[in-house]
Amino acid sequence: MNRHLTGEERERWADGEAGPESAEAEQHLRQCARCASEALRIVQMKRAIHDAMSEETGPLALRERVRRQMRGGRRRLPVWSLAAAAAVALVLISVWFPTRSRSALPELADMHVTLLASANPVDVISTDRHTVKPWFEGRLPFTVPIPDLSSTAFRLMGGRVVYWNANPAAYLLIGKGAHRISVFVFRDELAPRNLRESPATMSTDVWRSGGLTFVAVGQVPREDLEALRATWEGR
Amino acid sequence: MPLFDSLYRYARWLAGDRAEAEDLVQETYLKGLRGYASFAAGTNFRAWMFRILRNAFLTSRSGLRAVPPLSLDDEPAAQEHLVDEATPETELMLRANRDSLRRAIEQLPAVFREVLLLSDVENLSYKEIAEMLSIPIGTVTSRLVRAREKVRVAIAGGIMRESS
Repeated sequence: MNRHLTGEERERWADGEAGPESAEAEQHLRQCARCASEALRIVQMKRAIHDAMSEETGPLALRERVRRQMRGGRRRLPVWSLAAAAAVALVLISVWFPTRSRSALPELADMHVTLLASANPVDVISTDRHTVKPWFEGRLPFTVPIPDLSSTAFRLMGGRVVYWNANPAAYLLIGKGAHRISVFVFRDELAPRNLRESPATMSTDVWRSGGLTFVAVGQVPREDLEALRATWEGR
Repeated sequence: MPLFDSLYRYARWLAGDRAEAEDLVQETYLKGLRGYASFAAGTNFRAWMFRILRNAFLTSRSGLRAVPPLSLDDEPAAQEHLVDEATPETELMLRANRDSLRRAIEQLPAVFREVLLLSDVENLSYKEIAEMLSIPIGTVTSRLVRAREKVRVAIAGGIMRESS
C-alpha cells in the first residue's frame, strides 16, 4: 500500500474489522509512523472509553429477581418451553464464553506461581520500602507507592519489573508467615481489561488508586488480601 | 448470568432511569425465554438479546418519547466538517479524566452514542451492531468514526474552556 490509510480504514483496523485488507493495513502501519500513531490513538481511546463506561454492573437484587423469574416462568410454562430454556442457556454459554474477553486473573496467577518457582523471583531484595521504591525509578514510567508494612502481619520482600502486553509494570513480593503474595502494579490505562473471574485455586484482589491498578494474588485466604489492600489504602 | 451486566448497562444508557432499566432487563430475559422459538438458527444470539431490549425500550413510555432522537437518521452531513482538535493534552485528558470522557459520551446524539457503546464497551462487532439496529455495516462504521471524532472535539473543547 503506497498511500496513507483513510480515517475509516484506521478505525476499522483498530476495531479488528479491517477484513481482507487487514494484512495490508498492518504492513502499512509497520512502515508509516503517521498512520501508526493515529491508529494507536484510536486504540487508546477505545480502551479509555471501555474503562470509563464499563464500571457499572447490574444490581445483585435484580440478578436474583431475573433468576427467580426464569425459574418461576419455567414452572408455569409448557414442556416445550423447558427445552427452549435449556437451548437458550446452551446458546448463551456457547455464544458468550468464546466471545467474552478472558479474565487476566488466571494469567496473573500463573505469573505469580512462575515467579515464585524461579531462582530469583525479585531483582531488588529488600524489606525496606525506601530501598525498593527508588529501585523502580528510571525502570518504570510511574512511581510505585509502597506502604509501611512494619507494624502489620505482612513484610516486603522485594520487587522487579514485569511486562504485561509488552508494557512494563511493577511486581512486589510480599510475605505473610510462610505464604507469599504477589502484587502487580499497572498504570490504569495499560492494566489488563478483564479482572473479574478469579482462578479457582488462588485468591485475588483488585483495587485502583492514583491512576494505578493493583492486583494481589496469593494462595492465602481472601481476607488476607483484603487486609493487605486496606494497608495500601491507608485504612 | 451471561449478558446480564451488558444488558443492564445498555438499558441504563437507553432509559437513564435505574428502575426502568431494571424493568427492561427483566422483560428482556422473559421475552428471550418466551420468544426463543422465533430465534433463527445462525442469527447472532447476543445481537438478538440486545435487540429485544432495544425494542422493549422503544415501545415503553420513555422509549416512545425518545423515538425521534433514536430513529431519526442523524448521519453526518456531507458539508459538515468537525475539526479534530486532538492534541497530546487531549490524549492525556482522555486517559486521566474518566468523568470528562463520560460527560463527552453522554452528550453525544443518541445514534452516535449507541454504536460507540455497543462497539467499545460491549465489544459487539460491526455485523452484530448492524443486525441489531437494522442498518448497513457502512453506517455503523461512519457513525463510529463520527462518534469518536465528536468525543475528541468535546474533550478538546473542555480543555480549552478550563484553560481560558
